[in-house]
Amino acid sequence: MSALAHEIDPREFDAPEFQKNPFPMYQRLRDHHPLFRDRFHNRWMISRYDDVNAAFQDNESFDRALYKADGPYVFGSSHVFGPNILEYGNSDRHRWLRNIIAGQFVGQGLVSFIPFIERIATELLNDCAKDGEIELVSQFSNQFPIRVISNILGLPRADEERFVGWYQALIAGLGFGGEHLARGIAARNEMWRYLEPIIEQRLAAPGDDLLSKIAVAELDGQRMSMDEVKGFIALLLAAGGDTTDKAIANMWYHMLYTRPDQFEDVKKDPALWENVFAEMMRYDAVVHVQARFTTREVELHGRVIPERALVILLLGSGNRDERVFSHPDVFDIHRTDMHMGRENRSARYKDKLPGHLGFGVGQHFCMGYAMARQEAVIACTRMMEVMKNPRPKFPTHEGITSPNIDSGGFRSPRELWIQFDR
Amino acid sequence: MRVTIDLEKCVMAGECVYNHPWLFEFGADDQPRVMVGELVSDEEKRGARQAREVCPSGAIQLFED
Repeated sequence: MSALAHEIDPREFDAPEFQKNPFPMYQRLRDHHPLFRDRFHNRWMISRYDDVNAAFQDNESFDRALYKADGPYVFGSSHVFGPNILEYGNSDRHRWLRNIIAGQFVGQGLVSFIPFIERIATELLNDCAKDGEIELVSQFSNQFPIRVISNILGLPRADEERFVGWYQALIAGLGFGGEHLARGIAARNEMWRYLEPIIEQRLAAPGDDLLSKIAVAELDGQRMSMDEVKGFIALLLAAGGDTTDKAIANMWYHMLYTRPDQFEDVKKDPALWENVFAEMMRYDAVVHVQARFTTREVELHGRVIPERALVILLLGSGNRDERVFSHPDVFDIHRTDMHMGRENRSARYKDKLPGHLGFGVGQHFCMGYAMARQEAVIACTRMMEVMKNPRPKFPTHEGITSPNIDSGGFRSPRELWIQFDR
Repeated sequence: MRVTIDLEKCVMAGECVYNHPWLFEFGADDQPRVMVGELVSDEEKRGARQAREVCPSGAIQLFED
């Protein structure tokens, strides 16, 4: 084959085929353009496991935020979220903000929330699993994580329904733009008007809830501004809701349609939902890309990425890298060449196996990783208890897709109908 | 106050190292270790308490004076 046969036209990234099935493109990138300069979208792309992993861990060269030449950050998605702590990049302020809440999502804080997560799952399932069939996305997974988050924040349970609505509009605004963006901003403003008096009240009389902790936390004697607190809440609702929601739908999709044979194993041993989670996060994670900006020139594969360049880390591609995983295009919950247990920020594991890249690695590793896994496994296990002999309602499925994969669109099935015995 | 890591329990999650790089670091053996002997400042003590809270394996222990 001539060298030209491997050329990539960057407009392919905008084509529906890529959004639907990005994996052939990922393979071309890994094999022939491990560092790809996309002049059309003015960005660089990294696609091999080792390169993505290394970039995640190299905070000296790659920052989550783009610094202006004269100092302060340029905020990315602030149009929907408001001030967004993720965008504080590698700064001490980012670390400080994260430390305020991390304990709630990992470690002992999470353990104390498990009974509560189980209660919400059971409540929701009792509600929607009455008829012998369920549309998983709209009836369950779309609502479950957001209800968990709003309760961790300590928001009134009576208002959960409203939060589900705001959250859906926020997410659509983030993912689709256009009129969805307008609706997302409207929902954000409505939510903020609702939150303001609650935040004031928690400031005056802080409780044990997460919202109080966020409101009163101090760095060098300074609290967060009202806008920062609100942006923080919006981010938690979006980041903590949408991803887990889609993870649950993806896990069920793969069991029902990709590996019905291995689903039989899971039915016999529900503890295997942990493996389903891990393999889903490798095979086709909810998020496929993370963006970084170079803070200095970076040399890779014999070329130099200039300073302040946008670099796309294709973790969805790294997860399919045949240099690391055998038969990477096979969904296999019994995989022995990957760490299947709980993920680590450090990407170091006692079993010495490589982990999936689905949560990122390092400084900006998903803070909700443990919560997401816990919620997803609890939800799936509970569903198996309530829904006997679950099976797909339709013999075929359009598959997993995403609105805009390379700008961070989340991958999931649009609908997932499940039939079961009662 | 002193902080220690129980390496038997530790799963090398790295939460302590990433969140509190002034108190913890990874050694050459990939295991985390404590860099500060006696925790003196409020900042250090708060960091150690947060690290204990966020440790997924419960490997971090605090010894108050």
